[in-house]
Amino acid sequence: MVRFILASLLWVVGPTLAASQQAPHDSVRGAVRLVDTKNRALEVTTGVGMALRIVRLQVPATVPVTTTPGRDQLALSDLKPGDVVRVTFGARPSGWVAYTIERIGRMTSGVEHPPSP
Amino acid sequence: MTSRALVCRCAAAILAVTACQRPLKPGDPLRGLSAAERARFDQGKGVFDSVFTPETGLGPLFNANACAECHEDPVAGGTGDEVERHATAFHEVVPAGVRQCDELAAFGGPVYQNHVTPALHTALGIDSEPVPPAATAVAARTIPDVFGFGLLDAVPDSEILAYADPDDRNHDGISGRPNRFFDGRLGRFGRKALVPTLREFNDGAFAAEQGITTPASPTEETVAGTPIPAGTDPAPDPELNEQQAALADAFVRLLAPPAPLKMSGEARQGSDVFRRVGCANCHIPTLTTGDSPIAALRHKQVAAYTDLLLHDMGPDLGDICLGLATPTEFRTEPLMGLHLMSRFLHDGRAKTPEEAIEQHGGEAARSRDLFHALPPGERAALVAFLKTL
Repeated sequence: MVRFILASLLWVVGPTLAASQQAPHDSVRGAVRLVDTKNRALEVTTGVGMALRIVRLQVPATVPVTTTPGRDQLALSDLKPGDVVRVTFGARPSGWVAYTIERIGRMTSGVEHPPSP
Repeated sequence: MTSRALVCRCAAAILAVTACQRPLKPGDPLRGLSAAERARFDQGKGVFDSVFTPETGLGPLFNANACAECHEDPVAGGTGDEVERHATAFHEVVPAGVRQCDELAAFGGPVYQNHVTPALHTALGIDSEPVPPAATAVAARTIPDVFGFGLLDAVPDSEILAYADPDDRNHDGISGRPNRFFDGRLGRFGRKALVPTLREFNDGAFAAEQGITTPASPTEETVAGTPIPAGTDPAPDPELNEQQAALADAFVRLLAPPAPLKMSGEARQGSDVFRRVGCANCHIPTLTTGDSPIAALRHKQVAAYTDLLLHDMGPDLGDICLGLATPTEFRTEPLMGLHLMSRFLHDGRAKTPEEAIEQHGGEAARSRDLFHALPPGERAALVAFLKTL
């Protein structure tokens, strides 16, 4: 039981610590595949050519979710599948943890400032 | 200068001019490359021709052990007889919060490799990557030639978007629309136009077709979503370094489009028929490239016969979804190099250009019907024209 509680604490606190510490991070730009508000998780489809990948991220409550360019604050639940997002994230023992999430457009309409090839 | 020297110089000049004028053969580089670009083309061909083994990075899931194993006919960069499996899940009606198209990336999709290395076979007892039950369609995909792809890559997005008419505002029954990659960029490569750039098309092919990791795609494919078992991938990642990947890209990028064959009078008539029945509304005869650091790709006309947009081709051709493309939407297939092909349409179901035309549906149904209604001589002329491309 104690082990379970510790694991749960790590699951909840770990990501927050990671977010606050801003450990070495990576970034991904892709389309939202799934928003799991209950577990505060986000899945992003990305990849290279036809080699596609899903990045599953934990999203602690402290992580800023914003729009670009207005940088309006959003809730995680405001993100929808097909939204194009730019996410910075880092690794924790529990998996990838988001540091920042920006919604930059929709797949259907494209984005205002495409990344350089 | 002696008269003999003058004759030699003139002969050399004539030979040089003649050499410049000879039609490009499949596999030739673009005209006008610098010495450095030509050297990269030659070095890149070496990477393209490289045969990989499990020890040098092949697999553990793969479709081929070399680029040139599939792209081989009539030369490296050409087509091939392999047929791949791509699978996705598409749901007409989905609950809120879910896209209609699931590329099954969480389950190893959309490319399901036909072969595995001996080590993976031993570990899992499989001979190919299994398609997950979640798939709603499995598509067959033939091997495209990649001649002239550098020119397609250099066409500005704005030119492609200028042909888009998603709401069919001109009421011609044709409503091309762009596909987009997951980061919002315009797609253009692949049968469903998912992939934005040639470099990504090539890097992705190393990963998805050969199981070769690169700096751009440094992790192995999963086996239908499950990480590969330990010990089945002996080569350290990335299995191809940046320099090698860039050289392979240079080879593909600098491959010239095959020169069209000389047109007979019948074929010239067919060219007019091609436009008259509306084929050219999607198979746009000429695209123009934009700026490029490579002079041979800069501001060039390319007889691509495509608009690089998605069109609904009707339910009979439909298979998988991809990005924004629904199962029935396909990118207008470029017709350059058509005379080198022996199978037609995305899955090779048509054995002749006529059969391919017959199977066009959806937005192309009107042109197909007009083709049907042509006098036999004009139908033959249209086919004769196609066979020169």
